[in-house]
Amino acid sequence: MGAMFFGQYLLSKGVIDREALIDGIERQRKTNLSLTVLAVRRGYLEEKQEEAILLRYRTSDVDLEELCLESGLLDRGQLDELLRIQRSDWMRIGAALVAGGHMTREEVVEQLAKFHDSQRDADQELEANFKSCRDPETVKTIVELAAFHVGRLSDRPIKLQSLGEDPGALEDGRRRYVQKLVGDREIFVVLDLPPAMAVAVGEGLIGIPLEEDSETAIDAVCECVNIIGGNACTRLEASGINLRPEPPFSTEGDEPAVEAGSSIRARVLAGDAEIDVRVFR
Amino acid sequence: MTKWRIMTVDDSAAILTIIAAYLEESEFDVVAAERDGKVAVRRFAEIKPDIVLLDLIMPGQSGVETLSRILAIDPDAFVVIVSSLGTEEAVHECLTTGARSFLQKPFTRDDFIEFMRDLTKVA
Repeated sequence: MGAMFFGQYLLSKGVIDREALIDGIERQRKTNLSLTVLAVRRGYLEEKQEEAILLRYRTSDVDLEELCLESGLLDRGQLDELLRIQRSDWMRIGAALVAGGHMTREEVVEQLAKFHDSQRDADQELEANFKSCRDPETVKTIVELAAFHVGRLSDRPIKLQSLGEDPGALEDGRRRYVQKLVGDREIFVVLDLPPAMAVAVGEGLIGIPLEEDSETAIDAVCECVNIIGGNACTRLEASGINLRPEPPFSTEGDEPAVEAGSSIRARVLAGDAEIDVRVFR
Repeated sequence: MTKWRIMTVDDSAAILTIIAAYLEESEFDVVAAERDGKVAVRRFAEIKPDIVLLDLIMPGQSGVETLSRILAIDPDAFVVIVSSLGTEEAVHECLTTGARSFLQKPFTRDDFIEFMRDLTKVA
């Protein structure tokens, strides 16, 4: 079994059904509120002020808490109060499922132990799969960088689910974003994303709302692949692997799968979405 | 206060948008944003910006080629490479060709503004 989030594990094991998981996630969404949403609800911030802080947060390394103080819109007392509320209300998926009557607390504890065991096995399996790849260092570097940047930009938790050889075809309903790296090797760095994820990544990069499949959204995700590819070249140089990127492109077809001799597919969970990171050679 | 006149060159509209947003309400004014190296060289000759922020990996005319052509027009042009590629080889090639500095993507707004302000101390 591959790596996954606890809710997905419970679903895959038949412990809960799809409706229960949706209910649990919705309960989390209602209770797990960000600081700025709490601030708006308590009347400390106006919605426009919240938007301005969030835009700055997405494009900055500064913590949200620090930004709230720095902006002068919240004082320390208000921030501490909001943090206290946030901590006391925060609900993990297990607690949300108990609250919805889908599981008992004892069942959650029991399943969590099993889940952690399975995740240990999954991590070991992933490590072994990386090692068995042709050119494991390059593949691991690209997959890790892709997961990092997609998670950072989409603001979603990322989990590498599985890794292995695959024919390389693009799944229906997705778009492919590609960058070719040339030099010591010829490699294609590929992201296959469903439209909603592409929008999330693009909006995270440029900080403005985007429409699905718009030119700007596609361009923004291409730039994300460009960052992944360029950063991979930089990191691999330290290992004596010299590569340079070519301009990225996007396609709704399977290229460059047909011309590739090997094709590695990393299935990645990004919150409730699935994406693929691929490395073609 | 006179603002620094900036020209950005990147085939990615996303990066041009980000840079323009980062420089809003600052001491920098984006006077031109081009997505093609050849067009950028012509535009440079017309407007002679104070600082050029130039991408390295572009279709058609590459960043290094664009850099050389800009320097052929004005050997004192202040061109900075902004790229996701930060290999020693790439940095060396850009600097020896005549780029004044090199910034690796991705960067945050704060890093970028600080970088730009540092540039103005030597530009």
